[in-house]
Amino acid sequence: MPITILQPSLAPPPKLRNVDSDSDSEGGADLEGDVAMGRPAKRARTQDSSIMTPGEIITDDPQWMRGHGTYIIPGASSNTILSSVAGTLAKTNKLLSVRPLRARYTPEIGDLVVGRIVEVQAKRWRVDVGGTLLAQLPLSAINLPGGIQRRRTETDELQIRTFFSEGELLVAEVQQLYNDGAAVLHTRSLKYGKLRNGVFMSVTGTGGGGGVVRARRQAFTLDISGTDEVSGSEKIDVLLGVNGYIWISKHIEGEGAAAETSGPGITRIEESVGLNVYSSQNDIIPVDTMREIARVRGVITALVENGLRVDEEMVIKGYAEAVEMAKEERDSADTLWLGGERGKRLANALVGR
Amino acid sequence: MPLDTSTYNLALLRVDGRRWNELRQQKGQLGVQPSADGSAYLEMGNTKIQCIISGPNERDLSKSTSSASTAPTSNGAGATVAVSIMIAPFATVDRKRRGRNDKRLQEMQTTIASGLAATVQGQSYGPRSTIHISLNVLSQDGSLLACLINAASLALVDAGVPMTDYLVACTAGSTSSYAAADEEADPLLDLNTQEEQELPFLTLATLGATDKVVAMVCESRVQLTRLEGMMATAADGCKGVRDFLDGVVRDKGELMVQEGAIGRGEVVSSMDLD
Repeated sequence: MPITILQPSLAPPPKLRNVDSDSDSEGGADLEGDVAMGRPAKRARTQDSSIMTPGEIITDDPQWMRGHGTYIIPGASSNTILSSVAGTLAKTNKLLSVRPLRARYTPEIGDLVVGRIVEVQAKRWRVDVGGTLLAQLPLSAINLPGGIQRRRTETDELQIRTFFSEGELLVAEVQQLYNDGAAVLHTRSLKYGKLRNGVFMSVTGTGGGGGVVRARRQAFTLDISGTDEVSGSEKIDVLLGVNGYIWISKHIEGEGAAAETSGPGITRIEESVGLNVYSSQNDIIPVDTMREIARVRGVITALVENGLRVDEEMVIKGYAEAVEMAKEERDSADTLWLGGERGKRLANALVGR
Repeated sequence: MPLDTSTYNLALLRVDGRRWNELRQQKGQLGVQPSADGSAYLEMGNTKIQCIISGPNERDLSKSTSSASTAPTSNGAGATVAVSIMIAPFATVDRKRRGRNDKRLQEMQTTIASGLAATVQGQSYGPRSTIHISLNVLSQDGSLLACLINAASLALVDAGVPMTDYLVACTAGSTSSYAAADEEADPLLDLNTQEEQELPFLTLATLGATDKVVAMVCESRVQLTRLEGMMATAADGCKGVRDFLDGVVRDKGELMVQEGAIGRGEVVSSMDLD
């Protein structure tokens, strides 16, 4: 790759915090007797922003209830609610909660997640879904090859690695949550299962300047026949796991998470769950498709780097924009790279800046 | 290099030109490492720390050399806090490589881990999860423990880990050495390496701007009569540090709201109640 030298840009002017640095200011400490004792001082919110920081008093009105990201001083009789994370305040009726600026993924029932098998146990797998604890996938929560409906026997337990083994990727849904926040997954749908023919990427989880947002549809198919170099009507599946793990792969008719609408019902599951659903062998992927997969990955990286949300609309728009950019710069060697200035240009075009 | 402390009495200015109650210039940044769960960079004078947080997640601790401490909660154990400190060979004036099991480093790791475990509200994560805090000292010029605690605190906020308040720390010293037996010696705030080598000092960590002391380390001999003044000075320094860290976090949050990365928050006011 040729070396590009970016023009240096001016650093933003430093913010002056203590403007009153007169000769009389007492510096950091004050020993003249009044070291404030006792309760946390009610800090006046100097800036008129709605950002809450840890230890900040949100309200002492007893009518409010505390939600996530807040706490009350244990043992104290007062109803003072304080923030425990840095973030913005959210009100749901009388419930106060603080949404953190950035945090690890917290599973919720019904989430579509992409995960990686970390550990194989006797009757279950342990899956890394980017949360605070590993999720588990019981042997009873997967589809057997051929769609056979029966109890899982000892034979299945012995063959557990033929379904999923360590390091393999899968897409699943959160079925249940434990008290400590650990998730139980299931793959009992044609939409879910082992992943192949694609590329994995991970972006920061919920919150924190972009990342994958919970949306109506997390999995969709991109038509890449718009790029004139691609012959035929190739398609790409994009799977945006709510946990920030993303899978971009070649589309195969009647397979994958995006096939949910056209797939058969649970009654005919035997006919559609092929015998090769647990195959770890990739199909032959045309070079054009590979390149477009890489382009989609570049688009998502650019979205994250520029603090934009990652959802179906943004990815489709961003991909179309990236294809346009590539057509304009037909003569340049590398049109796939969407970092730095090019990424900024893409992001600006998307939000209309 | 001995410090000529006699000049302090003439102009009441310290070797680097500060007065007794002045903190050094501080600089802080959040999210310096986008791939980490949380990260921060903090400068206090010439002490420069980078902190990377991974977790809370479920990994075994057996392989690492970090010191771990478990958050005590009312209903059983909470998340574990594991701290590992790495001092770069180029951090000090004389280049030297430190071993992995340096006893002083291990003690600092334990102090930080237990202090943060008491501050983090780990009960929301469960006993199997661990927060790994990795601290890199890029440049070292006094108040190392205090600066490490502040950097870790800032990175934990970036990681979105719930905490009771910021855990902030500051050092305080005394203007004359123990041998001088000067009962009337003035306290000094936020010492640099030169002062640390010459004068008695302590490191004090408090919970935010309150006077709740979470950790105190004093490794030098000092008269008991001077201790109270030093502690009060350090506690006041902690307030200044907290205000600074809070400002860094607020600036970052406001920037994110401006850029539309997160939605604008709501405001609680008594008008909403009806």
